[in-house]
Amino acid sequence: MIGEDVAVPSARTFGRIRVGALIGDSMAATRLVVLLVLIVGAIATPSFLSAPSLTALLTTSSIIGCLAAGMTFITISGNVMSFALGATAAASSVVFTAALNIAGLWVAIIASLVFGGAVTGLQGLVIGALRANPIIISIAANVMIYGFVSWLTANETVFATPKAGHQILKGTIWNIPIDFIIFLALILIGQAIIRWTVFGRNLLLIGSGWRAAEAVGLPVQRSIFGAYLWAGFFTAIGGALLAIRYNQGNMSLAVHYDYDAIAAVLVGGTAIQGGDGSMIRTLVGVMAICTIQVVLLLYDFGEGWRYLITGLIVLMVVVLYSRQRGAR
Amino acid sequence: MARLLSSKWRPYVALLLLTILLAVADREQGRFINVATVFSTLQAFSTFGLVALGLGLTMLVGEFDLSVAGVFGLAGCLGLLAGADHAWLGVVVGLGIGLVFGLIQGLIITKLNVGSVPVSLGGLLTASGLAYVVTGNRTLSSDNIDLAMAFNDPLAQIFSIRSLVVLTIFVLAAGIFRVTRLGRDLIATGSDRKSAEIAGVGVKKLVVSAFVFSGVMSAIGGVMLSYGLASASPSGLSDVLVPSAAATILGGVSLAGGAGRPFGIAAGVLTLTVLRSGLTALAAPPFAHDVAMGLILFTVAVSDAPYLSRQMAAFGIDFRRSG
Repeated sequence: MIGEDVAVPSARTFGRIRVGALIGDSMAATRLVVLLVLIVGAIATPSFLSAPSLTALLTTSSIIGCLAAGMTFITISGNVMSFALGATAAASSVVFTAALNIAGLWVAIIASLVFGGAVTGLQGLVIGALRANPIIISIAANVMIYGFVSWLTANETVFATPKAGHQILKGTIWNIPIDFIIFLALILIGQAIIRWTVFGRNLLLIGSGWRAAEAVGLPVQRSIFGAYLWAGFFTAIGGALLAIRYNQGNMSLAVHYDYDAIAAVLVGGTAIQGGDGSMIRTLVGVMAICTIQVVLLLYDFGEGWRYLITGLIVLMVVVLYSRQRGAR
Repeated sequence: MARLLSSKWRPYVALLLLTILLAVADREQGRFINVATVFSTLQAFSTFGLVALGLGLTMLVGEFDLSVAGVFGLAGCLGLLAGADHAWLGVVVGLGIGLVFGLIQGLIITKLNVGSVPVSLGGLLTASGLAYVVTGNRTLSSDNIDLAMAFNDPLAQIFSIRSLVVLTIFVLAAGIFRVTRLGRDLIATGSDRKSAEIAGVGVKKLVVSAFVFSGVMSAIGGVMLSYGLASASPSGLSDVLVPSAAATILGGVSLAGGAGRPFGIAAGVLTLTVLRSGLTALAAPPFAHDVAMGLILFTVAVSDAPYLSRQMAAFGIDFRRSG
C-alpha cells in the first residue's frame, strides 16, 4: 500500500496559517538547532562567504528549488513523491532550447510550460482517476521521458544560438541572480495557491485522507490532477532556468535533482504522508540541502558523499518525524 | 478469456504471447529462436531475477523496497573489493551488506511505523553514496578472469553457474512458499495486516524478514554480476529497479499487497528478458529498450490500479462481469 499511508487528519495542521513554521513543537525545535548548526558550520567554512560561492548557492538552489516547490504539491496531495521531475526538467530544457532557436524567448517559455504541464499532468490524471500507484507511475514516466527525448535528439545536446534572446534572464538584480528571484516568486505563488485557494485547501484535506475526502464529495480526481499540473509547470520553469544558465538543453542536466528536491521537501518539514506542508518550509529545506552541498563541495567531497549525506538526511528526517508523530 | 487475464495466469500468458510475437516478427530467419538467444536470455534473467524476487516479496507484504538498486550496486562493488584474494570473502561481505541494509530498513519501518518508500529512498541514496565513496567513483576491475569464466561459461549449452544459482533460489523460494505456512502468512500480511495480526501471524517479523530477504537477494545478484563481469562500477549497476519493478507487477504481484508468487515473478522477469533479447536480436535502437520498459511499467501500473474497473464502467466498459 505504498503511497496510501492514510494520515490521521489533525486539526492542528489545517485552517491555520503557520507563518512561524519553525517554532512551536519539538520537531521544530530540533530543526531550528540543526539549521543553526548548519548556518554556523557554513559560515565557518573557508570561502563560503565569498561572492562566487554564494552565487553558486543561489543559482543551484533556485533550480533544485523549482523542482522541490513542484514536489511539494505532490507530497501535500498524499502521493508521496515523484521520480520523474528531474527527467521532466531536463526534457523541458531541451524543449525550451529548441523552441528558443526557432521562435524566441516567449514561445520557448510557453512551450516548456506546455510540455512540463502535459507530461506531469498526464501522470496526475492516471494517479487521480485510477488511483494508480504514484511511485511506480513516476518511475515509468522517468524512463519513458529519458528514452523518448534521447531518441528524438539522438542523445545530443541542443545548443542555444548566441543571439536567441534568453540572455535577458541571465544577469542579476541588486546582486541577486534572476534565477533566485524567479524561484522566490514561485514559492510565493505556491504558498498563495495552497493557503488561499479552494483548490489548495481541498488538496490539504485530500492529502490527509483521500477516502474521507471522497466520501464528503471533494473533487479528488480534479485536485490531484491539479497538483501534478502545477508540479509540471514549476518543474518546466526549473528546466528553462537550466537551459538559460547552460545555453543548452541536455538530458543529463538534471540527474539527481529528484533526490535533492525530495530531501529538501522532507527537511523543510512537509509531512511525507501528505495533508500538511507549506512552500515556506520547502524554501527552508532547499536552502538547507543546497548549503550542505556547497559546503561539501568546498571541502572537496565528491558526488558520492553528496548521495550518502542526502540519504542519511532523508533517513534521519523520517525517523525524527515519526517520533514526533508518535508523541503527539 | 477474463480468467486468462487474472493475476495468476497473466505472467504466463504474457510470456507465451511475447515469444510467439517475436518468433513471428523474426520470420524464420533464426535471429530470435536459437541456443545463443536462450543462453543470453537466461543470463539476463539471472542479472535482475533475484532483485525482482526480493522486491516482489516486499510488495507481497504491502511494502516497497526502493533500495534494491543501491544495495545491488554496493554489494557488487564491495564484493569485488573484498573478494580480491579470496572469492568467498567477497560473497560474505556482499551478503552481510544486504543483510544489514535490509535489517535496518525493516526495523525502522516496523518499529517506528513509517512508510517504506521514504525509508527505502534513504536506503537507496545511502547505499549508492557508499558505493561511490568506497570505489572513489571509479570502475573497479578484477584480475580473476578464471572466476568470471567459471561463472558465465555455458553448461549444457543454455545454462551457466550464475543462472543455475538463480534458478535454484527461485525453485527453493517457490517450494517454501507453497509447502510451508510462510507463504500463506505473507499473503495474509499483505492482504489485511490487522486481521493477520489478530489471527496470530507475526506481522512485524515478516515485514522485517521480507526486507532482509530483499537486501540479501539484491546483494547476491550484485556480487554474482560483478564476479561474472570481473568488474563493478557504482553507476553501471543501478539500472535494475525499473525492470525489476515491471517484472514483479507483470508477474502478478499486486502493488496493494497480498497477491503474487515466486514462479509468477520468474515468469515476469523472463517476459522482460525475452523482450530485451528479442529487441536486441531484431536490432532495435538502444533507446527503444528504455521506452519499451517504461511503457510496460506504466501499463502494468495502470492495469493494477484499484479504480480502473470503476472508471471503465463509467465509460460503459464492464470487463470484470464477463469473467
